[in-house]
Amino acid sequence: MSNLVNRAKSIAGNQQALLLLVLIAMIAFFTSRNSIFFSNAVFGNIISDWAPIVLIAIGETFVIISGGIDLSVGSTVAISGVVAAFSMRSLTEHGHGSTQTLIVGFFVSVATGILVGAINAFLITKTNVVPFIATLVTMGAGSGLAIVFTGGGPIGGGPDAAIQLSVPKVGPFSYPGLAIVALVIVLGFFLHKARFGRYIYAIGSNEFAARAAGINTKAYLAKIYILSGALAGMAGYYYYLRLGCGAPTSGLGGELQAIAAVVIGGAALSGGEGRISGTVLGALILTTVTSGLIIINVAANWKQVVVAILIAAAVLLQEARAKGSSSKLLSNLFKKKN
Amino acid sequence: MTQPLYEVRDVSKSYGSVIALSGVSLKIHAGEVIGLVGDNGAGKSTLVKVLSGAHQPSEGTVILEGTERKWNSPHDALVAGVETLYQDSGLAPHLSVSANVFLGRERYVKGLLGKLGFLAQKEMDRVAHENLDRVGIAVPQSNRSVSQLSGGQRQAVAIGRAVSWASKVIILDEPTNHLGARQAGEVLSVIKAAKERGLGVIFISHTLPHVLQVTDRIVVLRLGKIVADAPTSTFDAESLLGTITGLID
Repeated sequence: MSNLVNRAKSIAGNQQALLLLVLIAMIAFFTSRNSIFFSNAVFGNIISDWAPIVLIAIGETFVIISGGIDLSVGSTVAISGVVAAFSMRSLTEHGHGSTQTLIVGFFVSVATGILVGAINAFLITKTNVVPFIATLVTMGAGSGLAIVFTGGGPIGGGPDAAIQLSVPKVGPFSYPGLAIVALVIVLGFFLHKARFGRYIYAIGSNEFAARAAGINTKAYLAKIYILSGALAGMAGYYYYLRLGCGAPTSGLGGELQAIAAVVIGGAALSGGEGRISGTVLGALILTTVTSGLIIINVAANWKQVVVAILIAAAVLLQEARAKGSSSKLLSNLFKKKN
Repeated sequence: MTQPLYEVRDVSKSYGSVIALSGVSLKIHAGEVIGLVGDNGAGKSTLVKVLSGAHQPSEGTVILEGTERKWNSPHDALVAGVETLYQDSGLAPHLSVSANVFLGRERYVKGLLGKLGFLAQKEMDRVAHENLDRVGIAVPQSNRSVSQLSGGQRQAVAIGRAVSWASKVIILDEPTNHLGARQAGEVLSVIKAAKERGLGVIFISHTLPHVLQVTDRIVVLRLGKIVADAPTSTFDAESLLGTITGLID
């Protein structure tokens, strides 16, 4: 029994170490099957895939810790990329320089994301629609509008410099990729070391207790859905840079990848639990699997099966952790009585 | 006679056509423990909500230290020094003991980071431990997550938090529910310690022996009205039960 307790304990304390181990094992496995995998080119590709996923997954982490869910992030990526593409095409046609155009495009993309987030926030905190339904509504509306606006095709005609920005410059990282890493670190500090994060955990853990402690829970919930929207807007812009155009299919299924990354990272959908580092590693594992399977010539659809297994493993681990803490509690009680 | 610490005067509360409280007046003095008892539906919860600021009375006034107050939220009352421990509302289990003790009252690091809301966690861990210790609650480590504590320890932390922050009045709604005899005993000694510190304690409970053991005065509610308000020494278990159920008038 004490052996089991100890094992559960070490797992509970080291979710991140475990994820890192899984990641290293995957890299070793893919490299052993095809040595090309272990190269700057492939890592660059993995990081390029990872960057937009981690952006929306971080937003999803905040939302899931608060006990909610945001299904709209994938659609928000699409709609914000498309709206930014239209604005950048128009600016380019009017003879504006590429730097200026790219900066405006960034803000248009983020503003579009914020708008979607604000609609989610309004539905959830003002009309009391549950997050699942509220974000299902904006998810449908967002992806529908993205297709209606574009007629289904990509919107190009923006500055040519865009695509240059997405080329890896520092190891496997492009400059936007580095900016995303920096942003993730800053958000990590706000989640784990500051009042903002503390209150989000409190809301996800026990909303009544949070309100009784004087926390304006609705204001905090509104902020995190807006944050999630803003991050999805950034991801939409990132896809624009990568593709050199705004495609209504960018970010398709992104919400499920984000949720998968968060769950693999150790967060609980019931709220109150989760860490930025877990989500970062979860997203990295997802994108490593995707690239790895392609490189070792496994049919791309196997990826979904592998991801499903990873999610199942993460959930089972969570179960074990919950049991671990309760048996630890039991052993403590016995110790005291004797 | 000294001025009461906390008082409600002629308070009535109705929800639509349902009258939950009618013409209730209640006084509590500093260093006094009053027991609030009554059957289910007698109006105890409603009175607690009025006292704690969760609900506003339909009629009547709430007076703290001689000044009429109007609570718009429990937070208003809390800031004024009236702390409430709600039945089963308790704590955020995923947060640490100290995070729970300081929830809504966090301390921040100095300088710019503090302005951005960065928390002085070590300081809060230490002070939380000191505060709980001061009110007579022993909790192993204040950086442990509440979900790792036993039911009794959780309740102790919840009470410790409320008592350590309360500067005037502490309202305890069924604090000994679901507790074993030893833990209930600890809760009762925390109540006594709070009384010694000069707080006014309002103790709501169904467990009449606890009420008889720890209170100075007992207020009995029945069907939204106060039917008895007398020193605890004038009751015994039988007469108290009789007053609650209406067998004795």
